[in-house]
Amino acid sequence: MAEEHALAHPTPRQYVQIAVLLAILTAIEVALYYLEQSIDAFTTSIAAPLLILLAVMKFVIVVGWFMHLRYEKSLLSKFFTTGFVAAMVLYVAVLFALGAVVLL
Amino acid sequence: MADVAHTDGHHDVHESTGIDNRKLGMWVFLSSEFMFFGALISNYMLFKGRDYSAFVPAGQSVILPRELYDIPFTSVSSFVLLMSSLTMVLAHDALASGDQNRTRVWLAATGLLGSVFIGGQVFEFTEFVQQGMTLSTNPAASAFFVLTGFHGAHVFLGILMLLSLYGISKRQGGLTESQGLNVELVGLYWHFVDIIWIVIFTIVYLIP
Repeated sequence: MAEEHALAHPTPRQYVQIAVLLAILTAIEVALYYLEQSIDAFTTSIAAPLLILLAVMKFVIVVGWFMHLRYEKSLLSKFFTTGFVAAMVLYVAVLFALGAVVLL
Repeated sequence: MADVAHTDGHHDVHESTGIDNRKLGMWVFLSSEFMFFGALISNYMLFKGRDYSAFVPAGQSVILPRELYDIPFTSVSSFVLLMSSLTMVLAHDALASGDQNRTRVWLAATGLLGSVFIGGQVFEFTEFVQQGMTLSTNPAASAFFVLTGFHGAHVFLGILMLLSLYGISKRQGGLTESQGLNVELVGLYWHFVDIIWIVIFTIVYLIP
């Protein structure tokens, strides 16, 4: 299991750089929202997947670096991922079953 | 594998996985929270786009949450919460390097940023109520208030935990190794609240 702790944690300077990246991704998200609002050709079907992609990137960065999951033993990743995937599968299935429009 | 018990000078730490059981418990708890917030987000998605004309008297228009969103304001709130994750991880880093003063500063900063976020949410809710959208206006409004309200309650609980750590550290002149793990656990909780907001901000506020 020693190899799972081989990665060095980021330094404070690197944490700040990660936070700046998160802020930039958030700014891009907001810009996409306004593009979708103001440009007819830039439809929801184009903006929504991009917004979800950006949210996933932010999610992974916070979990991996700020929560240190990438430096932890794989058991924790398995627990965390299982909960996330189980919830996604359950609720996407429920939303489809109830006829709700999912994401788009 | 047999249970392993060792002492850190203050209490026994049990582990059969190579991971402190308190830390494992926190990760399992956070994993289960996906189910909780997943239900609330799904609830909102289910009700957000429906026709609620039957809920209002003839001649009045339906008020939906997305018609009232103030995206610039919520974007700033999201930024504040993201930056609170930075201050939280800096508090953890400071404690790991044995700098108790810097730990307290970052813990206080995290609590302060969390309070700013909560203040923004209170302001947003107040604005919505003044514009005629309450918890009982229609199912979409109800789903919105319940989802964001429960998230706000989680942030508030996080602030209380941060204040507790700050108070203990201040009173004792620093945190012990065991209490240091509490900083990590509160940090995990805090970052989780942040990632839930990342999802809410995108799905509730930004995607029509």
